[in-house]
Amino acid sequence: MLLRFFLILYLLPLNPLLAADAVDIDEQTRSIAQELRCVVCQNLSVADSPSEMAQQMRGVIREQLRAGKTSQEVKDFFVSKYGEWVLLSPTTKGFSLLVWVLPFAVLVLGLGLALWLLRRWSANKTKPAGSPADSELLTRVRNDASTSESLAIDPEDSSPHAQLRQERARLYTELKELDFDYEAGKLAESDYATLKLDIENKAAGVLQQLDSLAARRTPARRTTEQAPSAPKRLQSEKHKRSYRGWQLATGGAFLLLFGLTLGIALTNSLRSRESAQDSITGGFLTGTSESANTRFLQEGKSAFAKQDWPKAIEAFKQALAADPNQPEAHAYMGFILLQAGHADGALLAFDKALSQAPNFPMALWGKGMVLLRDKQDYSGARLVLGQLVQLLPPGAERSEVEKTIKELPPAEGKPQSQATAAAPSGQQIIGRISVDAKLKGNVDSQATLFIIARSDASKGPPLAVKKIDRPVFPVSYSLGPENVMMQGIPFTGRVSITARLDKDGNPTTRQPGDLTGDYKKNPVAVGSKNIDIVLDQVVQ
Amino acid sequence: MAWRRFFITVLLIAPVIWLLAFGFTRDARYITSPLLAKAAAPFTVTLFDGRKISLNDLRGKAVFLNFWSSWCTPCRAEAKDLEAAWQQIKDKNMVFLGVALQDTEKDSRAFLQEFNISYPNGRDETGKIAVDYGVWGIPESFFIDPQGRITYKHVGGIRATLVNAKLEEAARGIVSAKEGKEDYQPIR
Repeated sequence: MLLRFFLILYLLPLNPLLAADAVDIDEQTRSIAQELRCVVCQNLSVADSPSEMAQQMRGVIREQLRAGKTSQEVKDFFVSKYGEWVLLSPTTKGFSLLVWVLPFAVLVLGLGLALWLLRRWSANKTKPAGSPADSELLTRVRNDASTSESLAIDPEDSSPHAQLRQERARLYTELKELDFDYEAGKLAESDYATLKLDIENKAAGVLQQLDSLAARRTPARRTTEQAPSAPKRLQSEKHKRSYRGWQLATGGAFLLLFGLTLGIALTNSLRSRESAQDSITGGFLTGTSESANTRFLQEGKSAFAKQDWPKAIEAFKQALAADPNQPEAHAYMGFILLQAGHADGALLAFDKALSQAPNFPMALWGKGMVLLRDKQDYSGARLVLGQLVQLLPPGAERSEVEKTIKELPPAEGKPQSQATAAAPSGQQIIGRISVDAKLKGNVDSQATLFIIARSDASKGPPLAVKKIDRPVFPVSYSLGPENVMMQGIPFTGRVSITARLDKDGNPTTRQPGDLTGDYKKNPVAVGSKNIDIVLDQVVQ
Repeated sequence: MAWRRFFITVLLIAPVIWLLAFGFTRDARYITSPLLAKAAAPFTVTLFDGRKISLNDLRGKAVFLNFWSSWCTPCRAEAKDLEAAWQQIKDKNMVFLGVALQDTEKDSRAFLQEFNISYPNGRDETGKIAVDYGVWGIPESFFIDPQGRITYKHVGGIRATLVNAKLEEAARGIVSAKEGKEDYQPIR
């Protein structure tokens, strides 16, 4: 009893402390996690991400805090593992400093530029037409206005020169009327001054135009009465105007180009998220784009789901035109062809897909189905579906494939019931292929094995070819009528059997490093057994 | 005067273009590892056969460390290759070590059985080892030289020929300039 009392006494003050410590660590964990980027999602912090990895990262943070590490040390730890990428706010050191400094620098520069432009524009706006530089013109206006009776006007003349003279006379009359009104006390002094300056400026502008017209008409008869600097100024103005035009055109063209580039780059680089963990970034420049072929692929898939075959075919064709090596498009085309009853075309399409992506589950399934249902090549189907099973994690899909394999007839090649009819053993060549012990190190596990039968009399294309992807040696094989290249040609007589382990999986090319072997007692009669071949030569 | 203005304009525009080009030519998802040529983080993992193995115990040997999961298709695609590669080098002074990540023990064991994996494998239950190695995609493989330094990292499925070549390099302490990349799945 006493012991319990002391135990309670001992624990009582500690409990709140422990609780406070735990809360503190939780808060610190959350605060650090908010500064770290989730490595499996986009634009989510470790604190906000529901992913398992983020949970584990939060656990690591908590553990390190409990071990007495400071927040900075914990963040440094993650940076040492994932680089500065993991920080949602980049550091203020080295290259990352640019991210912090540049926006402010650009803002300050932009504000400075805007202020400078504003000042320039306002200066231009407030500058009267008859600016101090044109004070001579203003003086002329004032002199001429007082003696404007002497300015003769021909009202019949409609030339630009005459129109300018009429305008000048009108403005001079306005000035006189203004003086009259002012003297009559009809105008306030400030209004009078403003209005007078305005009219004088307009008149100065007209005088300037008259001068320039006169200079154009009689360049040689320039007199000293005329403003001596006028033509020069005119030239300079013209030059300035053309220069500004050039600037505007260049600026406009650049802006247009910039906008177009940005528009194209952005639209091609952003994509809609397909899942919570998907990124909106990517792009044709990064190689992760939603480029044309992907777009067509999406269209094709959606049409395929709706069983709109013509639209799906068109979309997949376009996807393949954009990227002829797109395995998914080949695989979908395979299924469409299969649907239409073109088993050979479907098989070709699946093989094309698998030549680009040997582990593409969809193409493996398609090929397996063609071999099983249309070609009755059960050994081939077993091989392909076996490869697919290995790729699929346990689940419904895998169980389905396993069930299909189990239902396959146990016999090699054709099913027991049909083998005799379709390809009796008398029409097959059966044997094993192995690799010479000295060349075992040269075996590329991703390579494709081709077993080729050539008619003994022919030096032309092979009579029959069997393809085995990623073989595991020794490999048992059977070559029969189902492997004949040209339909209608019988698989009979004597043939020469060779085998090649081809690195690139292309039956038409031989590459250095490919392994080859011949049956030593070639030619053999169709129906022979134990036609064993050892791959004992390396293509140089 | 015109040329001066032109150069000033170019000087102002060039950094903007450069910044845009930099941004558009990067894959925002890809995390370049800072661990190449750095010391491999020490860890101890309990193997599926009950033994414990520590990276420090493997000092003096070239180590191939592979993070995998039974639900990951590229892991399944490379499994046979890895076992084949292991069979080729198991008598040399080299070690394979697999670490299952974000996987249940049952599924992991089934995976090992299915592919007849004979090299040592354990489970990273808390994800701590994965974080220590900056893992973000799966499978991910690390090559560690006899001095305990990471010489090469490969994100995604890896072929036996590359495993053997990079292990030979690791044994000689040769650090690769760049990490490798193949088909991978993001971890969960």
